Amino acid sequence: MSDWEPKIVAFLCNWCSYGAADLAGINRLQYPTNIKVIRIPCTGRMSPKFILAAFGKGADGVWVSGCHPGDCHYMEGNYYARRKFTLFKNLIEHMGIEPGRLHFSWISSAEGTRFAEIANKVTKTVKNLGSSRHLIKKINAKVD
Amino acid sequence: MLGYITKIREISERLLKEGKVDMVIGFRKGTVPMMNEPCVVKNPENVKELVWDSNCGINLANYLTDRKEKIGVVAKGCDSRNIVTHLIENKIKRDQLFIIGVPCKGMIDRHKITSMFAKEIKEVVEEENRIIVRGDDYEKIFKKAEVLQENCAICIHRNPVIYDELAADLVEEQKDVDRYEDVRRIEAMPAEKKGNYFDNLLSACIRCYACRNACPLCYCLTCFVDESRPQWVGKSINPTDIRTFHFLRAYHCAGRCTDCGACERACPMGIKVREFTKKLEKDCFELYGWEAGMSLDERPPLDTYRPDDPDFIK
Amino acid sequence: MKVVKIDKRNWAGKLEKLKESYRLFGPVKDNEFHIFERLDKGELPDFNYFNTRLSPKSIIYPQSETMLEFSLDKSKENHHILKETDTDCSPRAVIGIRPCDAAAFLLVKRNFDTAEHKDPYWVKAYETTTFVGLACNNPQATCFCTSAGCGPFYEEGLDLLLVDMEDHYFAKIITSKGENLLEAAGWNTGTDADPAGKQIKTMKQEAEAKITSSITTDKLKDKTTTDLFDAPFWEEVAFACINCGTCTYVCPTCWCFDIQDEVNGYSGIRMRNWDSCMFPLFTLHGSGHNPRSTNMQRVRQRFMHKLKYYMDKYDNGIQCVGCGRCIRLCPVNIDIRKVCDLMNSYGD
Repeated sequence: MSDWEPKIVAFLCNWCSYGAADLAGINRLQYPTNIKVIRIPCTGRMSPKFILAAFGKGADGVWVSGCHPGDCHYMEGNYYARRKFTLFKNLIEHMGIEPGRLHFSWISSAEGTRFAEIANKVTKTVKNLGSSRHLIKKINAKVD
Repeated sequence: MLGYITKIREISERLLKEGKVDMVIGFRKGTVPMMNEPCVVKNPENVKELVWDSNCGINLANYLTDRKEKIGVVAKGCDSRNIVTHLIENKIKRDQLFIIGVPCKGMIDRHKITSMFAKEIKEVVEEENRIIVRGDDYEKIFKKAEVLQENCAICIHRNPVIYDELAADLVEEQKDVDRYEDVRRIEAMPAEKKGNYFDNLLSACIRCYACRNACPLCYCLTCFVDESRPQWVGKSINPTDIRTFHFLRAYHCAGRCTDCGACERACPMGIKVREFTKKLEKDCFELYGWEAGMSLDERPPLDTYRPDDPDFIK
Repeated sequence: MKVVKIDKRNWAGKLEKLKESYRLFGPVKDNEFHIFERLDKGELPDFNYFNTRLSPKSIIYPQSETMLEFSLDKSKENHHILKETDTDCSPRAVIGIRPCDAAAFLLVKRNFDTAEHKDPYWVKAYETTTFVGLACNNPQATCFCTSAGCGPFYEEGLDLLLVDMEDHYFAKIITSKGENLLEAAGWNTGTDADPAGKQIKTMKQEAEAKITSSITTDKLKDKTTTDLFDAPFWEEVAFACINCGTCTYVCPTCWCFDIQDEVNGYSGIRMRNWDSCMFPLFTLHGSGHNPRSTNMQRVRQRFMHKLKYYMDKYDNGIQCVGCGRCIRLCPVNIDIRKVCDLMNSYGD
């Protein structure tokens, strides 16, 4: 298991965190390849279904990142998202997902360094938890 | 609560006779113990069908969704809060409704009582504050407080919050109730134990969707479980799909759930489905000071925000 | 008629022996109610029950059943070829099934096993299973089997009928399958058939007399389908219905299913899951049109199918055995007895 690497799905807001990922790349900042990025128009667009689908299809961790409160491109999308994420994270952890599988952050498009740091931190945390068991959907096909 | 019946019938008859409403939605006596059937009365001669007792746990707000008629509706505390939610969410208009408010003293828990007896329950009779359970060769008397539905035992809004006429004097609200003892018990568990707890809780689920359909909040034209492009939730009894369904069902009720207990009462397998919604209800109360269905003037918590909301995100 | 006497003192031991040649299923108490489950080593069926919460139909017809498997990996030889799933077809026996539930399989058989079409999954499961019935001495208030074409001691659909005689069981042999099972367990203490038969008959009459609930179906056959279809009472019958699938899922005679493919990575399965005529999706067309788009239409469909269409199509009574599960478990107390009587007396 020592060479096991987690799969992490990152939902990044187009207007900030996604740009930060670009900036990190331009600046040649290293961050783990475990992070698979999906671009979203705003954290306000995040549906709980996206997160559950990612886990269900085998993600070991999910990371959602958007604009700092007050900086939303659409004025208030992330304020709504913040309430939704709070309730979502509390409920999913209440049902037994380890804290540390699901991450949220606010990263502006100027914060390439911060993006790389958090990407490293998220990957390390998820890696320490090991592979996800709880929400992955297993289909019992015997054909291989 | 037994005395309410006469008054409910009297009001209903008057409303129908005067043409103030096209129909009255209430309960009629069920055909099995501890069950009443939601019913609609359109003719004043039939108001004698209407009953009220401690078996009216189904939430009648569920029967108002998108109706066009003028409706008289019998509403206990939680029903009235769900009517408020319906009004806020534009599922019915206030001027369509004549709300017959019922100050409630709690509904009895049919699952709990059924599981207490190995023998068949033939009859459950209610006297003021006493519940008498009878079978072929036994009789047991409970204090009503012992056999209340869990949500009723911790209810702090027994009186309707919105009504046009009352079926009885308002009752005293319960005070010093610890509403979230069970949620805290789960919160205190380590993650692994929480997971096992909920897996175990859901092991009996047959995906009949009674919990979803008994809920007045669930009125989407296409439920997420029926969406196929993409298919968010599989159709089988795969444990992950079942867990996902219950998670999302509960989450859709976030900030809207009044803890009326209709979902739990409806479940044919006796699953404590309120364990999901209660966590959300607690969080909404503690984080946003919100109790669903208490006011027509406030937006529900996920439809609004404050810049200084608690922020767990760094 | 042959009756074998089974001493309760060696019941457990002989059941263990039986497990060597059969996979046994029986009623067990799980949480707060009884359901049918596979009996593991050392596990006994618990006969102290009225009727299980869920019907035993899932033993023959699981709620989710894998039919075919496939691989989408193009490097594999047989990729994209559907392959039948291996299922365990070794003999099984259901110990302690109620006669009504066993009779229900006969009604379902008319759908899954016809001269033209045989459902291989259902037929295989059914044919490899021996049904050991448990006569029902204490029917419930919601039981109306005697007016739904069977009864508490009904034998059709069973291979053996056990009658509880306090310190022993009488096992009445109904088919050769049943006889084989007795032999495998080593139950061969033949008993004098006449007195035993008389005792069973008396108990049968006593049990039947305890059934207080009934339906009338005598005039359903002669009603015009469209008259019933257009009857005004459906709105009222359906009013309370919340359109959950409880009645259909707990019913031993409901057989509808939906086929789905599920893929994970490169491997996938084709499976079927129970479906319910109570769900709008059940009839939703690809175009978006739904011929049964309203609650009332769906409720009407369920009752019309059980009590009228089935009767007209198969000329063999109604599609209901009177187990009463839907009455006991309906969240809003819609009672098939009331609906049946409404239909039967409509237009009189």
